[in-house]
Amino acid sequence: MRDVFRLSALCLAVAVAMAGCKIVPDPDPGEAASAASGQTDEARMETYAQEIWQPKVLPVIQENLVPLAELRSALAADTDAAGQQHGLRPEGEANPWNFAVSGEGRIVEAKLDSRAAKLGVDTTGDGAADVSVQLGPVIRGTALRDAMPFIVFTDFRDQIEFAKLANALNATAHAAIDRPEGDVIGQTARFEGVFTLRDPAKIELVPTMLEVGG
Amino acid sequence: MSFGVAAQAQDKGLIAIITPSHDNPFFKAEAVGAETRAKELGYETLVLVHDDDPNKQSEMFDTAIARGAKAIILDNAGADATVAPVQRAKDTGIPSFLIDREIKESGIAVSQIVSNNYQGAQLGAEKFVELMGEEGNYVELLGREADTNAGIRSAGYHDIIDQYPDMTMVAQQSANWSQTEAYEKMESILQANPDIKGVISGNDTMAMGAWAALEAAGRTDVILVGFDGSNDVRDSIKAGGIKATVLQPAYRQAQLAVEQADQYLETGSTGQPEKQLMDCVLIDEANADKLETFALSE
Repeated sequence: MRDVFRLSALCLAVAVAMAGCKIVPDPDPGEAASAASGQTDEARMETYAQEIWQPKVLPVIQENLVPLAELRSALAADTDAAGQQHGLRPEGEANPWNFAVSGEGRIVEAKLDSRAAKLGVDTTGDGAADVSVQLGPVIRGTALRDAMPFIVFTDFRDQIEFAKLANALNATAHAAIDRPEGDVIGQTARFEGVFTLRDPAKIELVPTMLEVGG
Repeated sequence: MSFGVAAQAQDKGLIAIITPSHDNPFFKAEAVGAETRAKELGYETLVLVHDDDPNKQSEMFDTAIARGAKAIILDNAGADATVAPVQRAKDTGIPSFLIDREIKESGIAVSQIVSNNYQGAQLGAEKFVELMGEEGNYVELLGREADTNAGIRSAGYHDIIDQYPDMTMVAQQSANWSQTEAYEKMESILQANPDIKGVISGNDTMAMGAWAALEAAGRTDVILVGFDGSNDVRDSIKAGGIKATVLQPAYRQAQLAVEQADQYLETGSTGQPEKQLMDCVLIDEANADKLETFALSE
């Protein structure tokens, strides 16, 4: 009995360790720095975000995409293990996990007349919004940037430039989304996107794909 | 036995700890955190204060080099001006581990561990907007311009606040992180703009100065939010004065820098990328009780 337990614990450890290994694109430190000088941080980071969006950012999201329901039960069982298995985060002490998720649910709240527009989606069927899909144009947080293994803070001049990159990636995501119009309450939303884990019951998603209807 | 261990431990050499003035309890907490951890790990320490003067900082690097320091823990006196002394130390074989403030080059220091000021500023700004009821005239007190942290916090504040069209900034002035300067600036801003509803400050010492000016003018109705998580502001929050601040884990950050220095000296690598961000935490009446010397108890 004890041996069986040991064996399965070993298997689990190996499985976790292997799942923790991710194939990531080669970092390209020169890229950000080589952009034309003389531009503002904002303009340079916008250019960089657009350059990496299709070839690098979207593939990382697809590669790490996990169904939200599956992630929820993994998080409920063991946050750290779920993070090791599905999550993405920069190295360093106490950095929160970011996750790329897919999911769908009923739209129960909609705030479309704001600069920080969002949809409240009920993905668990209890009638309450548990995912906030950020429609922007102002999108909060740095989830997209921090989920990218090839984006390393050391390669940037300072926090200001690094923050502008987070904003530029959010803006690129915003531009790629069709913003729903009219009365969307009660309709179904299907989404893919990235969020930073702070409170599993209140996910603030940066969508990279959104379909509303039906 | 214990004497033998202690004597052996002391052989690990000298770590120099250089920060801005301890008049600001934030820098004192850093120095104490670094010194405590260094001694625990068996180093002697040399604690120096550069008073945000790059020339003084440069002399202190010379002192650390002359004393044969094994490593330098630094909260620096300017993102540009610090590049040269850190390079000089590196050239003589002494690695530097930076905390709190970045320099504008990478590849010279071994570690640069800084608070996620942008994330923290957004937390503070969200709380500020909520307290303001999403509307009204407000003032921003900025930090010292040569410090990257002043710019990044302001950017974080505005990336949130500027989403709200009914929030109007009527004055924006630098008080150079200083309590006395913030007091004077706040006094004159109040005279020119008696109709302000809130003040958002780039750090806690300026928040304390501004609060003193607001109290003196009988304007304790003004909503004030700071940044750092000092015990002074904690006490003000608990007394119903300043409304909120954002904790930077300064004590832990300084300890972490020493741990990375130790690991680097022992193994030749810290195992971490050079530049590392540490998240900040919002402090308000709900959790102020748990705050002590730039650390939050669980």
